Amino acid sequence: MDEILATMAAVAADPLGYARQWKQETQGRVIGLFPMHFPGELAHAAGALPVILQEDDEPVTVGQAQVFNFYCGYNRSIIDQALRGEFEVLDAILFGDHCVQLLGTADVIRASLPKLPILFNQLCSILDAEWAKAETTRTFSQLWKELEALIGQPITPTQVQASIRLFNRNRALIRQLYDLRRAGQIALTGRQMQDVVKSSMVMDRAQHTALLEKLVPGLERRGPPADAVRVFLSGHLCHAPKLPVLDLVEECGGVVVDDDLYHGFRFVFWDVAETGDPVEALADWYQLRSTKVPCPTRAVKSLDWEDYLLRNVRASGAQGLIVLMAKFCEPHMYFYPEIKDAFDRNGIPHLLVETEHEEMPMEALKTRVETFIEIARRRMAA
Amino acid sequence: MQMVAETQERSKAGPVFGNGERANRLKATRFGGKLVNDYWESLFAAKEQGKKVVWYNGTYIPPFFHAHDVAWVHGEAWSAMLSAKHREVTAQARGDQKGYDRELCSYARTHIGQLLIELDKVKSGTSDMAPDDPRIETLLKLPPPDMIINAYPYCSSGQQWDDITYRLFGKKVPMMTISIPLLWGGRPDAGYLRGEEWHERSRYVADQLVAMTKFMEEHTGRKFDFDRLSEVMGYIKKAAQLRLEAMDLCTAQPSPASFFDWIVSIAPVNFLPGDQNIVTYFEGVLAECKERIARGEGAVKDEKYRLFFDGMMNWNKVGWLADKFAAVNACVVAGRYTHMSFWQEPELIDLENPVLGMAQNYLICPNNHGAPIMIGEIERICDKFKIDGMVMHAARTCRGMTNSQFLIADSAKRHGRQALFFEGDVADESFYKDELLNVRLEAMVEALDAKARAA
Ligand code: SF4
Ligand code: SF4
Repeated sequence: MDEILATMAAVAADPLGYARQWKQETQGRVIGLFPMHFPGELAHAAGALPVILQEDDEPVTVGQAQVFNFYCGYNRSIIDQALRGEFEVLDAILFGDHCVQLLGTADVIRASLPKLPILFNQLCSILDAEWAKAETTRTFSQLWKELEALIGQPITPTQVQASIRLFNRNRALIRQLYDLRRAGQIALTGRQMQDVVKSSMVMDRAQHTALLEKLVPGLERRGPPADAVRVFLSGHLCHAPKLPVLDLVEECGGVVVDDDLYHGFRFVFWDVAETGDPVEALADWYQLRSTKVPCPTRAVKSLDWEDYLLRNVRASGAQGLIVLMAKFCEPHMYFYPEIKDAFDRNGIPHLLVETEHEEMPMEALKTRVETFIEIARRRMAA
Repeated sequence: MQMVAETQERSKAGPVFGNGERANRLKATRFGGKLVNDYWESLFAAKEQGKKVVWYNGTYIPPFFHAHDVAWVHGEAWSAMLSAKHREVTAQARGDQKGYDRELCSYARTHIGQLLIELDKVKSGTSDMAPDDPRIETLLKLPPPDMIINAYPYCSSGQQWDDITYRLFGKKVPMMTISIPLLWGGRPDAGYLRGEEWHERSRYVADQLVAMTKFMEEHTGRKFDFDRLSEVMGYIKKAAQLRLEAMDLCTAQPSPASFFDWIVSIAPVNFLPGDQNIVTYFEGVLAECKERIARGEGAVKDEKYRLFFDGMMNWNKVGWLADKFAAVNACVVAGRYTHMSFWQEPELIDLENPVLGMAQNYLICPNNHGAPIMIGEIERICDKFKIDGMVMHAARTCRGMTNSQFLIADSAKRHGRQALFFEGDVADESFYKDELLNVRLEAMVEALDAKARAA
């Protein structure tokens, strides 16, 4: 099992390296996807490797000429990677999110990589609008057409359904890991869970699914240390929190029992219908996502992120919530006060950790996490 | 998108910069100050008159409200007004206290912060504080909304802002959000006002605007009158044409008006009622521009350099900046914010059936084109007004307008224009760096002189 986890960790650490190798071996197309809402299924059905583009660990250097330092680390890193030539492996990019910073990044990529096709189809961000379903269906149909033009051949509904089934299986297996972790039957750390999810965003899905098929039954059934404080991790949109930040939870005497991170449960919680018109199925999948795990970039009037968090923190038996917020992430900054107020009102310990692309003051952060774990522990004892 | 009428900070004494000259602002714009005051005052009386009130953010949709006889509050105008009157600090502090990070759009923070202050007052039952300016205090007492409508082109922060407003009112006020998606311009037939995407998106927004009239009908119990909309749009179209005619006169050297005159002229074409007053306003502006040209009088004394202002306005600094550029004989002749927005394509509006043309004007907000088409338009304007250099306002919390600024500056340089960046913000003064602007502006002026000497 360690070997499987090590394979996933290696892919998660070097996603474009994996893509390059895959391309060399298969001569196939690699399609980059932007987070957080575009389904990879269509690109997969087109015979390509869909790779969700990731922040990397390099400091932003050449990118500074095209992006201000008051943009989130994800955007700054992506622009830097584009200017460093890292995206040469890509045959196209699928784009369609709504975050204003990402829209700026799309234009910088277009200007700096003029030969790279960008299939830009902006998704309707008002999920409860009367016209949301029709508009989303239109968007995915258009994308389907553009992918066919890109590969020069038709994509059949049967192919898309096969991809949907594969992706569903992949997500279901990861959800099983979440169930086992919540139940205290396995002790995957925050880092390990992130490696599992992040590698699924990059690897050939069939290959990744095969690994999961072995990992899920094979993982040792052992719970975390009994005295560890149970922590729920929330937030961190679009990009993965840095691994040393995740490690702090365990280092300070905690254990992660659940999360709603994009590089976590947010990525796997919801499946696409396997029967019926695949475009309709994908549109329903997109539209109903926020009814499960609310997303601040897709606020739905009847749903609140803080309600979801309160419910799920309790359901997972977590004793506290750590909100990981990428610095300069506007959707998160808007909704954080709602979460803070709700957790204050309910007397549940919570800690805000703001993350940065550049080096973070880890010692000071460690002290804050230690204090938080101590408070949560005392609250439990009281 | 928003505005203010008149700013007060220009009277504040600052260190003398450059030759100490000040901007020669158009006198005709003063009428706008009166119109804006009348608007806020009538708004304050709206509830007593039994009118429903809609709060909105985003593009210039008030003609729909006007035609339906509901009062409207433009959130951004409110934030801009608070900033221009230096009232934003307390509002932002209240937002800060609630946990809104200072890196978040300061327009939104100001609006939300002031809303929290008002809600605090309602909760505690306390009435108003000692006013140092009774008119401002009056302005602060906005009527609460009966409806919230958001129609923010391009910027997700503009949309999410009202997701928060909706929640702060306990989700009790009906809200509608209209999507005005980016015109990416990636298809082979894409171009300014043309192509499949343009037509498709125009229809999409127009359909939503019609849905908005239904939403208003539902919450007022009255039928929407499209003839009235045409009537209101008649005034707006006329005002918009006059505005463009006057702007075009600024190809003259010296330019009779500057970007800062156009900034204070936004209110009439952004959110003031579409009636004869706004036509009169722009007739006045046009006439004054003509008179100045006849006299050879410029918006800046001894105009030597002609600049383009890119980025969101720095609402705390309108007069301050106007004077700063005047002090180095630089006239900021045009800007993305003023010249590429606010009904800049009035001919698209068919008064018999105005909705589609209105949707199209909303879609061409200056951020809402993908960079290649937007930059093409910027270059066209710069050529037309014989621009020597670009002033790029990197407004710290407004990603809606800082996106693509490096691409814009690169393009300007390719076209032989200088470009300087300065740091500031839409409504949070603490991000503004005066010294940096001084140094960079002086350097730009020197470079322009050197270029002129070499020519
Ligand atoms: S949603 Fe947040 S993390 Fe994602 S791109 Fe936008 S600002 Fe960055
Ligand atoms: S970030 Fe800029 S464009 Fe977006 S809502 Fe704020 S002021 Fe408007």
